Amino acid sequence: MKKFKFRFTRRAFAYPYMIFLLLFVVVPLVLILINAFLDESDKFTFQNFAEFFSDAGGGLTVLGNSLIIGLVTTLICLVIGYPCAYLLAKYHASNRVLVLLFILPMWVNFLIRTLSTKAIFMALDVPLGMGTVLFGMVYNYLPYMILPLHTTLVSIDHSYIEAAEDLGADKLTVLLKTVLPLSLPGIVSGITMTFIPAISTFAISEILSSSKIFLFGDAINMHFSKATNSFGVGSVMSLVMLVLVVVANVFVNLTSKDEEVKSVL
Amino acid sequence: MKKFLSFVSVVLIAVFMLSALAACKKEETDKLVIYNWADYIFDEELDDFEAYYQDVTGRKLETVYVTFDTNETMLTRLTKGDSNVDVVCPSEYAIQKLIEMDMLLPMNYFDEDAYVNEFSANVDRSKYVHNSGNVEQGICDKVNETFGSIEVLNESSDDYGKTRRMTDYFVPYMYGTLGILYNKEEFRGMQIYDEETLNNANWGILFNDSGKRDAEGNIIPLADELAGKILLKDSIRDSYAATVFYLLESGRLDGLTNDEGKAYADMSASELINAVDDRLLEEVKQALIDQKDQLFGYEVDFGKDDLLADNAYVDLAWSGDAMYAVEESWNDELDDYELGYYLPHSTGNLWFDGWVVPKKCDPTHMDAIRLFINYLNRPEVAAANMYSIGYSAAVKPQAIKDDPRACAVLARDYVVYAPEFWDVAEDPNAEKPKYIMEKIEQEDCDFVDWEEFELYFFHNSYFDGDEIVSYDEISHSNWRYPFESAQTNADNYRNLDSLGVMRDFGDKNHDVVTAWNYARSTGVDAKPILGWTVLAVAVAVGAVFLVIQLKRVARHTVRSRNNEKEN
Repeated sequence: MKKFKFRFTRRAFAYPYMIFLLLFVVVPLVLILINAFLDESDKFTFQNFAEFFSDAGGGLTVLGNSLIIGLVTTLICLVIGYPCAYLLAKYHASNRVLVLLFILPMWVNFLIRTLSTKAIFMALDVPLGMGTVLFGMVYNYLPYMILPLHTTLVSIDHSYIEAAEDLGADKLTVLLKTVLPLSLPGIVSGITMTFIPAISTFAISEILSSSKIFLFGDAINMHFSKATNSFGVGSVMSLVMLVLVVVANVFVNLTSKDEEVKSVL
Repeated sequence: MKKFLSFVSVVLIAVFMLSALAACKKEETDKLVIYNWADYIFDEELDDFEAYYQDVTGRKLETVYVTFDTNETMLTRLTKGDSNVDVVCPSEYAIQKLIEMDMLLPMNYFDEDAYVNEFSANVDRSKYVHNSGNVEQGICDKVNETFGSIEVLNESSDDYGKTRRMTDYFVPYMYGTLGILYNKEEFRGMQIYDEETLNNANWGILFNDSGKRDAEGNIIPLADELAGKILLKDSIRDSYAATVFYLLESGRLDGLTNDEGKAYADMSASELINAVDDRLLEEVKQALIDQKDQLFGYEVDFGKDDLLADNAYVDLAWSGDAMYAVEESWNDELDDYELGYYLPHSTGNLWFDGWVVPKKCDPTHMDAIRLFINYLNRPEVAAANMYSIGYSAAVKPQAIKDDPRACAVLARDYVVYAPEFWDVAEDPNAEKPKYIMEKIEQEDCDFVDWEEFELYFFHNSYFDGDEIVSYDEISHSNWRYPFESAQTNADNYRNLDSLGVMRDFGDKNHDVVTAWNYARSTGVDAKPILGWTVLAVAVAVGAVFLVIQLKRVARHTVRSRNNEKEN
């Protein structure tokens, strides 16, 4: 039998991180999986799944609302973010300060940002609700959309564009037929980077709607921290969330042929 | 050479280890692990207790303070985790649950001989004073009345099926009521700040229901401006209790009976909030959904701030939090508190937290545990805690009034001009002087004499000439001492029977959580937003393309015209 021998190679530097991953990522996931099948007295059951999918506690409704809000946020972010990233990339060489200005809000703690947003809305007498939550989400996740887009757009070889122009394409055709297809990997990764946090968030909706808008993240949080013996259903919901994230990632891998984007995931 | 070096190192290590061992022996410290709510004790009391412990036992003590934020977190950690804590301070229903799971050691605090006999030989009995007599008797009565005998439900326990009395297992620490924190100024502005209006609305304040009905039986709102300005606590049990009380007084439970055929309207407050059958749950769910239009939101931590900033006018609150908020809200311009606390006069909820000892505690810490629990019932310690955290200690008011040191602590903390307590004897063993007060001039004090302070603190009232007037003409509620106000206030219509204590919901717990989640998740309809956004995006993108296309066409025609000219 071959004996395991510890050799101090470059690979050894990865071990601490692998142990960390095992302890704090894999083990909790397994625990969630186990908890999803346990009832209040720790006996095996399918009841938690039945309860969630029968929508007794409104779990499915909340999931639907969360998905819609996530989708809308992503859509708005894309519509605002693409022109933004395009312009940034265009003036990239001449003006790096501009790029900095767009990343600057990310340096402020996100809770502070959200609480200040609430204070501004309250001062302007804007009633808290769906609109304010959406604003907060777009405001918070916009940089996550712009950054990958900006990186991809900057890395596009300018000679492609020149070639298209030389061959008689006007500006719109260049944008649609050259820049847009080339920036597709950026769009896809921007969408995932916005959509996944947007469907699982709970702090933004809690603060910007005074907890009136109850999202999937809130529901999971409720099951784990505010209710007794509710770990089972909470775990099922976490699993559903996990499945959604995996599906989103598979989608990205399918649509994107770019190796760079794949390796990020 | 190599051998010599290794020999030297071995000797050095041995010497080092021996000296470490010796140091250990010299500094023999006992330990006490306290598991409590965050900010639920006056920090300095822990140091003082360490000093007191050394005085009584001659041994050093190290206290470790660990915190939890909900009873549920605490229960999970005690039942599923392997954390070793010595004393825990849960709420009443969590104590019931722990007893059912047979996880607690009996303390028998109210049986002095039994309690004292458990001490080891280290404890100098001559220096020990048993303080169980200081505890408000009403709490124990109420507990025994509500919980009676609790059956051990843990099948793996030897005592499965036996019954227990809660008072044998816990020692009361803090208690209070559930009520409504409101913005007095705004209530004045809406012209609903009078006793009759509020007593008509009661818990309906949280639902913007004046308690009155028009000719067709529709609800007349308390005030139109109140809509969208109401906060409900994001706490399942408390919001559930408030909703049940509201259902009762608004008549929505009239004629309804529970599974056993008993009418809800005939139940006592305690019976009602603990009746968690399906019909009641359904009603509560519906009421919570209907309430949504009136809500500003569900409050977690920012309730007080939202009230002071006029974002909301009303909040469901515990008396201690409310009192803290009210005391902070003093406004010099108005010469009044901006916030007020209203305890609905019909029915209400009484809650309490107490110290229990888990079976998993370290048995060698037993002396420290017993001394600590008893120490907290000293009047001066209770007084310091009350000022620091805002809740009412379970030590009865008379015990505090009779104790000069406790009075000195209160006089110091609340800046009372009370020369009679300036020279209260210090404990000779105290590390630093505790009761010596700065001798402040009378005009610089917040209260001109002890009498005025006593009226404020214990009775929530003040002298108007010779007449005693309540600070809060609405509530008639003594903020701090519901028991005392029920006993002493002749004109108080509130009696203790109207205050119910909540038990653990047991099997129904899950149903309550489900109902609450359901109520929280409905009423939000995101679909229109999706439709509108898709439409808006389509319109925007379409417009951009249209403009570009138009430009293109225009350019094209210009170019072709130019071509024609050239030709």
